[in-house]
Amino acid sequence: MSALLSTPLLALLAILVPAGGGLVVLTYPWKRRISGLVMVGLVSLASLAMTVLIARLAVLGIREELVLFQLVPPLRVALRIDAMGALFAMTVAATCALALVHAVGYLPDDKRQWRFHGLLLISLGSMIGLSSAANLITLLLFYELFSLLAYPLIVHERTAAAFRAGLKYLVYILSGGALVFSGIVVVFWLADSVTFLPGGVLPSAAPTGPLIAACCLLVAGFGVKAALMPLHGWVPDAHPAAPAPFSAVLSGVMVAAGIFAILRVLLEIFGPAMLDRLGVLPWLAGVAGFAVIVGAIRAVAEDDLKRRLAYSTISQMAYVSLAATLLNPTALAGALVHITHHAFFKGGLFFCAGSILALTGLRKISRMRGLGRRMPWTGGTLTLLALAMMGIPPLSGFVGKWTLGTGMVETGGFAHLAVILAGSLLAAVYLWPVIYRIWQQPAKDDPCHGIPEGEPWAEPGWMLFAVLAAGLATVVLGIAAGLPGFPLELARMAAEQLLGAPAWK
Amino acid sequence: MPELVDIRPLLAVLASLLCAGAVFTVRQSARWRAFWSLAAAGIKFALVWSMLPGALAGRVYVYQFGELLPGVAFGFRVDALGLFFALVSSTLWIVTTVYALAYMRGSHSLPRFFGFFALCISTTVGIAFAENLLTLFVFYELLTVCTYPLIMHNEDLAARRAGRKYLIYTLSGGGLILAGMIVLYFTTGTLSLAETGILEEAIGRSWLLAIFLLLIAGFGVKAALMPLHAWLPAAMVAPTPVSALLHAVAVVKAGVFGILRTIYNVFGIDLLRDLGYADWLAVLAGTVIVIASVNALRQKHIKARLAWSTISQLSYIVLAAALLTPLAALAAIIHIANQAFSKITMFFVAGAIERGTGKKRVDELAGVGRQMPWTMAAFTVASLSFMGVPLFAGFVTKWYLSLGALQAGEGIYVGVMVISGLLNASYWLPMIYLAFFRPPQTHGQDASPKPARVSPMMVVPILICAAYVILLGAGASAPAMPFSLAEAAVRFAFELKVPLE
Repeated sequence: MSALLSTPLLALLAILVPAGGGLVVLTYPWKRRISGLVMVGLVSLASLAMTVLIARLAVLGIREELVLFQLVPPLRVALRIDAMGALFAMTVAATCALALVHAVGYLPDDKRQWRFHGLLLISLGSMIGLSSAANLITLLLFYELFSLLAYPLIVHERTAAAFRAGLKYLVYILSGGALVFSGIVVVFWLADSVTFLPGGVLPSAAPTGPLIAACCLLVAGFGVKAALMPLHGWVPDAHPAAPAPFSAVLSGVMVAAGIFAILRVLLEIFGPAMLDRLGVLPWLAGVAGFAVIVGAIRAVAEDDLKRRLAYSTISQMAYVSLAATLLNPTALAGALVHITHHAFFKGGLFFCAGSILALTGLRKISRMRGLGRRMPWTGGTLTLLALAMMGIPPLSGFVGKWTLGTGMVETGGFAHLAVILAGSLLAAVYLWPVIYRIWQQPAKDDPCHGIPEGEPWAEPGWMLFAVLAAGLATVVLGIAAGLPGFPLELARMAAEQLLGAPAWK
Repeated sequence: MPELVDIRPLLAVLASLLCAGAVFTVRQSARWRAFWSLAAAGIKFALVWSMLPGALAGRVYVYQFGELLPGVAFGFRVDALGLFFALVSSTLWIVTTVYALAYMRGSHSLPRFFGFFALCISTTVGIAFAENLLTLFVFYELLTVCTYPLIMHNEDLAARRAGRKYLIYTLSGGGLILAGMIVLYFTTGTLSLAETGILEEAIGRSWLLAIFLLLIAGFGVKAALMPLHAWLPAAMVAPTPVSALLHAVAVVKAGVFGILRTIYNVFGIDLLRDLGYADWLAVLAGTVIVIASVNALRQKHIKARLAWSTISQLSYIVLAAALLTPLAALAAIIHIANQAFSKITMFFVAGAIERGTGKKRVDELAGVGRQMPWTMAAFTVASLSFMGVPLFAGFVTKWYLSLGALQAGEGIYVGVMVISGLLNASYWLPMIYLAFFRPPQTHGQDASPKPARVSPMMVVPILICAAYVILLGAGASAPAMPFSLAEAAVRFAFELKVPLE
């Protein structure tokens, strides 16, 4: 046990268990559905439990590296546990567990469901790998792995639109990966190391030109995944095309994985001092601010619920980048906790959209009149989650925004704060119509599948469970945010580890 | 560097020569043919690998006969670079022989096929171990002659045409090398490959450009350096094991090896840096990398696509060598192995698909992944290697080549690597996509095609090669891998005393 605690062996297990379990689920010819589902459930619960344990370890401080093997000297595939990674790993495991539950109800009961479950579990493993990567090359390895695995999940429904969206996704992501590769080469050339280190690894004597080039390559490369505004093209197509449970994972954690990688690059490769010298942060803040506003405006204009949510992800995730550019511990802690909270409420909203789609076939918001009255639980949770995203206290969305807003005020970033407030206002503009619409009087031509007018529909069990769990998480994370062991504590610790200053007293 | 007289280089060459003799003698007995082929492959494999520890410890094994020209003996000399090439060839020869035994079953003229097959390997090891340019040239020309009957094995019109094209190209290339060698001999009085640059003391520099052009163009024919490449796509009519021989084990590698010898041993790094010829070679190779990949994208036949990809990949080696920096040189040498294992996997897969399902075209691949899951998984591994994904062999090349380019102050070639990686993705991923994600085309009655029946003697070599691609990528620097040998070769060429890292 002590060996388990002293090294990131647990992180390795947390990668191998879901990956191995996923392979079994993928290849074993399941005869009875229930046995397959038990397997999926056990694997995802075990992964979740291990990430929670990892988080407990992370509270005790950064763990030393566990070197798995050497690619070429001195590039090593190595794992490490720190607070930021642990928080992200836990978020990923929880979101994927909910998505798997939702998928049980959402996907038809046939052979192909195992493909979905299996691939999602393997992706989960590689995303945990990404969060515990000790250096850039390990991060790139897992990043490429789950990026490629996401393709079959996006095209799972095999419609023409899905294949088009999948192709677009691949072109974007592979180009991003190529930029990241060249960025890593430049970093290694300048620093002789790609290991993450709070404060940065690049020598301060390095020439400015290549430094800026490396920064642009890495941020742009990961920015494709992070849906940073001019590079976001795949997001609004892939989300509606993918099965709803995977849309939830895409929005909740895969886009966030891009942001996570950018944070690693900025804080642990370049380091605050270097970033100040290079003067790249105002530019990044400009891009992120643009994405907050324009993403939200595009969301207002979309009638397709999943597309609207996809644009909202672009806007919400840009909050995180925007807050990170201030290099203020409080703002960073807020940003990190916002990633986690966003995963639950955005994931939950996609679950709701999926339930609605599965039950009624409706995608367009304008056709959802009165839906809430026919699906009270789903409608109610959708309302709750939408309120959370607008930042209404005491729901979880408020915690992240409040914390990062305080950080902005601390450093005098009032322009940043104005952007965040405008983004929140716009969130209300694009979410309120949804809430309003679903609680209206039902339309005359509502697709009620023969159920008498006025009576609620039977909401599907598995999907409803995922929806309610996301709703519950949003409430609990909001009310109990300050308790020890909750994401806020880890986020605060991560900010302190990364920036070397405590977030708040 | 201590030189030891040792007979193993000679034995390694003789092993497959004797095998060829035995195969020609036993004629129609398939069992003895298989026995001799495998026995010779095994013996040679053991001989070549047994020299690895000594070579790593800095020993050089030599074996010489009488003089051919004044000061030029017919002799063997096993240095790090040569041994690296020989290791790759002799290792791949075993898997190729196993594969060929299954693939060629039932074909005509098998004694001729396996006999010349063995002769090819014999000459390849001769090229790798040649002590001087003249010895190398003799084996190089012999290789040309021995490959011809293999390329036109099918004996139909297309095969004869491809064979003729191959002969015209490679013999002309040989002529250029001969011319370059004559000029070289009269300028320096030696053809030795034992030093880092025999031309450095030469007084008259007026001939240097001629020597460079003649040798590079001559070896460039077999290295399929555009515009001297046309024989390679044409040779795809040959049986699959021959394609493996051409693309991975012997022929194109002999050309690339000749270019490396020209750069590192004939001219030497310092002289070439002064002259600046290599910059032009790098520009040419960089262009070829991109153009050949674009051509690969347009090919409809699986084997044609593989052939164009080979042209692109060989230019990685030429580019890396032309950059004249230690890290790039490391990329050049290890890419001999990385390209060989990745590409041979693909050719084996293409052959297995042809045997198992009769499909030869890219657009027919739909559903093949379900019929032949292991085979297509191996293909995926090789594709990821060419795309340069970490964990796979190609990444190691891409990494060192990019670093080497930065070392040379030529950041633009990092861009070439990135573009080439994306182009590779754009022609391999659609094939994987078709094989795994598209339902098989059904012709009426059978809705779900049966798993294709392919001999395990074809599948096992495929899996071994694919496993090696991962091993080369994930464990390049592990103790038993030839990586350290490549490093030793680089240290010798650049006269570095300390390890690279």
